[in-house]
Order: sequence, then C-alpha cells, then structure tokens
Amino acid sequence: MTTEPSTPIVDKAKESTMDVSVGPQHPGSGHVRLLMRVDGDYIVSIDPDIGYVHRGCEKIAEYRNYVSNIPHLERPCIIDAIHLNWAYVLPVETLQGVNVPPRGRYISTIAAEMNRIMSHLYWLAINAGVFSGHTTIFMWAFGDRDLFIELMEWLTGARLTYSFLPPGGPRRDIPSGFEEKLTKLLNYFEKRLIEYDRVFFKNPLVVARAKGIGVLKKGDAIRLGTTGPVLRGSGVEYDVRKVEPYGAYADLDFQIPTFKEGDAYARFLVRFEEMKQSISIIRQAIGKMPKGPIARKAPLVAPEGEAIGRVESSRGEIAVMVIGDNSDKPYRVKIMNGSFRNLIALPYLIRNVHVADMPIIYGSLDYWPVEADR
Amino acid sequence: MNQQSTSREERIIEKAKSQFPDYVKETKIDGNKRVTITFNKDHLQEIATWIRDDLGLDHLKGIACVDYPTHKKLEVLYLAGSFSKSEIQDIIVTLKTELPRDAATISSVVSIWESAHFHEREAFEMFGIKFEGHPDLRKLLTLDNWDGPPPMLKDIRFPEMGQR
Repeated sequence: MTTEPSTPIVDKAKESTMDVSVGPQHPGSGHVRLLMRVDGDYIVSIDPDIGYVHRGCEKIAEYRNYVSNIPHLERPCIIDAIHLNWAYVLPVETLQGVNVPPRGRYISTIAAEMNRIMSHLYWLAINAGVFSGHTTIFMWAFGDRDLFIELMEWLTGARLTYSFLPPGGPRRDIPSGFEEKLTKLLNYFEKRLIEYDRVFFKNPLVVARAKGIGVLKKGDAIRLGTTGPVLRGSGVEYDVRKVEPYGAYADLDFQIPTFKEGDAYARFLVRFEEMKQSISIIRQAIGKMPKGPIARKAPLVAPEGEAIGRVESSRGEIAVMVIGDNSDKPYRVKIMNGSFRNLIALPYLIRNVHVADMPIIYGSLDYWPVEADR
Repeated sequence: MNQQSTSREERIIEKAKSQFPDYVKETKIDGNKRVTITFNKDHLQEIATWIRDDLGLDHLKGIACVDYPTHKKLEVLYLAGSFSKSEIQDIIVTLKTELPRDAATISSVVSIWESAHFHEREAFEMFGIKFEGHPDLRKLLTLDNWDGPPPMLKDIRFPEMGQR
C-alpha cells in the first residue's frame, strides 16, 4: 500500500462549473444534502452535507440508564433496529459479564436475520427500485416486506422499533405456531426471489443503468474503510458474523456473497444474495433451536471499564464502544456504524460521472442518513 | 483456539514495545480480541504508519473521544482493524492517547488512513480537537448557525434534554 497525499473532497470552482444542491429533502432514506459541483452534465465533485437528522444520540446516552438507552439508540435506523440494539447490548453484556443462554441467542439470530431481509427489501424498493425508476419492484418488495413485519410484530410486539434485546437476552420467547408461519413465509419468499431476479436484477434496463457505474476497486474499498455490502461488492470477504461470530452464528453454516466487480450492480447482487443466505440461516436456526431459558438476569449497573462490541448489520459493521463507571449510566457510548463509514465513498464515487448516475450510485451504497448522523 | 488468539495479541504488543520502547506507555489486552496501546501523542504519525504497514491494519473503524474534565484531559482512541489480512481480521487495535483539555491539538492521520476523514471532522466538531494537516477540517453534523462550544464535552449540558 502506498501513501497517497489525501485530496480535499471538494474540487475548486471554475467558470464553467455550477453548484447544485440536492436535498436536504427526503431522497428516500432520510434527509441529506449533496452539494454537487457540475460541469455541463458531469459531476465534478460532491460535498456531502450531513447532519440534518443529528439527534445527539451519544450525548443523550450519557444521561439515561443502560436499559432506557435501548429505545433511542435503535431509532437512528428503524428499519434495522435489531442490529443497532444488539450492537449496543453486546459491549454492555461484556462489561457486566452476562452470558445469554443458547436459546436466547438463537431467537436473537432469527430476529436479526428477519430484520436483514426486511432492511434489504426496503433498500430494494426505495434505493434500488425507485431511484432507478422501477416502480414494480417498489410495490413487490414493500408488499413482501410487510409479511415479515407482521411476523416480527407477533414476535416482538412492534412493527419496526422492537427494543427486543435488553442485556441478558431477548424479551420474549417464540410464540407457539411462529416457526410454522415463518417457514411458510420463507418458502413463499424464496419463490418470490426468483421473480425478483427475473423482473429486476436481470432486467436489461437495470443492468444498463447499474453495470460499470460507480466502480469501487478492492484496494480503494479497503483504504477508505468502507464496510458491509459496499466492501463485499468490491471483492473483500469480510463479515463480522464469520470474523467474530456472535449470537448463534458460530453454529450455523452460511456463505459470504462477494463480487469482485465493485460497481453498483455488484452491490445490488450482494444484497440479493444475502437475502438468500438469510433464508438459509433462519431455516437452520429454527431446526437447531435448543430448549431452555431465553434470558438471564442482568445487573442494572456496569462496572468500570470499556468494551467494544460489533455486529454485522444490513449496512455493514456496527462497532459500539461503551465505557462504564460503576453507575447505572454509561460514561460514554460511541457508535461507529456502517452508514457513517460508507459516507466517504459518496464523494469518492460520485465524481466525474453523469448527473443521471448519481441516484444509482447513491442507492447502491444503501446510505441511511439518520444512522450516519445519529 | 483461545490460547492461540491470546498469543497473537501478545505478539502485537511485543512488536509495538520493541519498535517504540520510548513512546508506548501502556498496553492492555481485553478478553475478547481487543488490544489497546497507549502512547505519547507526539508520535502518532510514526506509530500509525507502522501499524498500517507492518501489522496490516488497513482501515480505521472510528475515532472515539472521551472527555475527563476532572483530570483536565481528553482521550482520543483510534480503532484500527484489518480487511486484507485474514488472520488478524478479528482483532481491533485501539491506539489511545491523551490531550490536554485546553490545548487539544493532534496531527491528522488522514494521510495514513483515508478512512479517518469524516471521523476527524466529527471529533473536531463534537470535542473541539484540532487535527493538524487535515485537508478539509469543517463542521459536519451541527447546524450552520451553531456557534456554541463543542457539544459532546462533559460540562456542556442541555437541560431541555433532561441533563442536569
């Protein structure tokens, strides 16, 4: 690896360039402003202006106790709430020395994988479907997502913001009859994925718009520290579920889909393949689920010390550092999530491209402004 | 497995100590594949370059700052990890250094890890730390008209949020 001098994100304005502000109206995934410097139909550079949905989550967390922190720390990405919740709870459990019983870990894993499918379906509907002008997949993906939402509501009591995993284990056991319903849904969804492939992923219009656009080379993906499907779309095999298995992932057999092309289409396919893997993970977890208690009692205070926990969310690795100080409130909570880490790929990829390619590249990164702003 | 992973972490620490005997102040291994190296802030560039090139920790996961007003210090933690070396992918190495609270200045690592770009901007805004050599050190998350002190410092409180 060579040390390249780092360049400023924004290029100098010239006489032929014009600045266009995109946003901060909702582009489908939260409020963000991209300040584009365009030269004719080409984008010279963009300056992402984020923070429109900054809530000071980390500051609030210092004034709430460990359990009250869960609902507001999962709010930044409500369509992926289980992963945000889990990423925060893992280091708290490490500090408190609490072990979740095996059955609890399996239930958490099933909930997390259902959430991953739901999050990827949201991405497919909005960030891939709407942004590329494909309204059929928008309707289909949102319709199918609702079936998962209904099952999650049955399991956790809420449609999106579950607060399902307090320290010690999940709040509820699986309701009776849930496994059958879920298996039925997975069988249906597996057939739907074939239709998705035919209508969207193999659609010549989608291929023409996404293939070869926004290429992130492997070396750059590593250098920029991107994560999640963006990283795997560039051919790096890195998934926290394999690297540092949490929950029940150590017992389950699954693959990490990677594509070496690094373009927007490769990132599309990574998420598509991940949905298939999630189906397989949930099926295995239902089959292997042990009996026994689901949760252990966790103390309300955490001792002095710091712990870092991490999970693989739908948007990449979320690492959370929690510093305890012998009280019932954390001294410091630092959230390092996928969207904020992938933010640097935006100005890097949306450079010297057509204006019309911008929504596709933006959509392929699955950037979630609220998660990045916290 | 456990024994093997312990020795990997110890090897990192041994290497760091032999490479920089004068700068490394303290080292720590946390049970779960976490290595912390505390060092003198003036030697950040050397240690970061060495960690990237020799250990293969090719990206930053984030930069965390912690404010300790009673000790009049700010701690800066660089969380580095590796994508390209599969054998150390599961380890997070934390570089920890402290700055005086009234003169929080440290050199930027953007030239070493480009992934630090937005993390340093966030730390600059939230804790008021100046990163010397950062190509584009501007505010990031707060509103354009926010002219108050860095909001994440411990002595800044927001009573309307229930903070007393």
